[in-house]
Amino acid sequence: MVYDMIIPALPFIGGYLFTYSLYRMNIIRKAIHINVWNFIVGLAFLISAGAGFLLLLLMELGIKLSISPQLLYWHVELGVTLALVTVFHIHTYWKSAKTMFFPAKKRVKT
Amino acid sequence: MKKESPCQMKEVSKSRLGSKLNLSRHKLQSKLWRSKIKSALESSSLKERLLMLASTIPFIAASTMSSSCATSCPYGMVNDPYPGQCPRYVDLDGNGICDLSQTTTTTADDTSTTSTTSDDTSITDGATSTDTGHGNGANADDGALINQTDANSTVPQDYPSLDSGNIDGDATNYQVLPVTMIIIGSYLVTYFLFKKGILNRTKHRRIWNLLVTLGYIGSGGTGIILAVLINLGIRTALNPSLTFWHVELSVLMVVGTLIHLHIYRKPFKNMFRVLFGFRTGSGKNSEALRGKSK
Repeated sequence: MVYDMIIPALPFIGGYLFTYSLYRMNIIRKAIHINVWNFIVGLAFLISAGAGFLLLLLMELGIKLSISPQLLYWHVELGVTLALVTVFHIHTYWKSAKTMFFPAKKRVKT
Repeated sequence: MKKESPCQMKEVSKSRLGSKLNLSRHKLQSKLWRSKIKSALESSSLKERLLMLASTIPFIAASTMSSSCATSCPYGMVNDPYPGQCPRYVDLDGNGICDLSQTTTTTADDTSTTSTTSDDTSITDGATSTDTGHGNGANADDGALINQTDANSTVPQDYPSLDSGNIDGDATNYQVLPVTMIIIGSYLVTYFLFKKGILNRTKHRRIWNLLVTLGYIGSGGTGIILAVLINLGIRTALNPSLTFWHVELSVLMVVGTLIHLHIYRKPFKNMFRVLFGFRTGSGKNSEALRGKSK
């Protein structure tokens, strides 16, 4: 089975750039832009992690289902999407993420 | 004997005094710390005590994990010879095979090997036949040659695993439940410390944000490498270990995400309100409504 890596990512990159430019042009509120992408990241996580968990459970129980290959395929595809949308999520919350990676310097009294 | 000058003596006494002061300060700090923890414990309610009890979960899980890890190879190798294909190589019985990869052996005094292709019947005295419990097809055929596993060859498990992109693999080596318990227990500990004021909100959030990021990077990274390897049809010795770490880091990612949702539950609830107009709770948090509460 060959997994598509770039083609499924393209609509998401385009979509993020689209809503980001709409927000920058003040056509939509920042809340809409942020929450739309939070919802997408949640959905991608739910499907990818759910499929992964189901696959692990089936493997543990030694059950072979006819939908298992499809489940694995969508686990991988949504996983790629999730990885990409996570980058967008970090970009959205970059200010707080920055302090997570590089702690803010303590103010020096002058 | 060398006499010390008054200046030198002064310096020595100063340094002694300094070290004594440092010691007493250190003692004072440790006493304060202890009294803080003690008072926190005394003032805890039943709910908090339960929380504390739950925080012992990681230790129980860790002990469970170490005992289960000790029994089998986490990479699914069978009879891995010296020096071993992974850093976990252990050979306590000194037979040149990693103890973790060694399967349960049955020693028979007289083992007869029967072949259907010839009428000859060869008898092997004192042979040690290895049965992994997963026939590779040779044993399944009626009257087929009973294979013996060569002790000096490393045989990967004869059934397909996730690394080849197949869905039938060996799940017995994945430490899903213990890892989950460790993470949840650790969260309960930090949450308790945060609630008691020992750990501040920023640090608490930072710890869990870093862990969830680690989970995403690890799980996503290993997942993408595996997908690329499968796409290119490359099978390396690293594939089983990559799959193993993909699963383990995915557990961290999933549990970490659920913790992330718990930490940021207010903006999470408000996401539905903003997008679909659902009303959850009071919704007074305007920062959360704007999706900026991070």
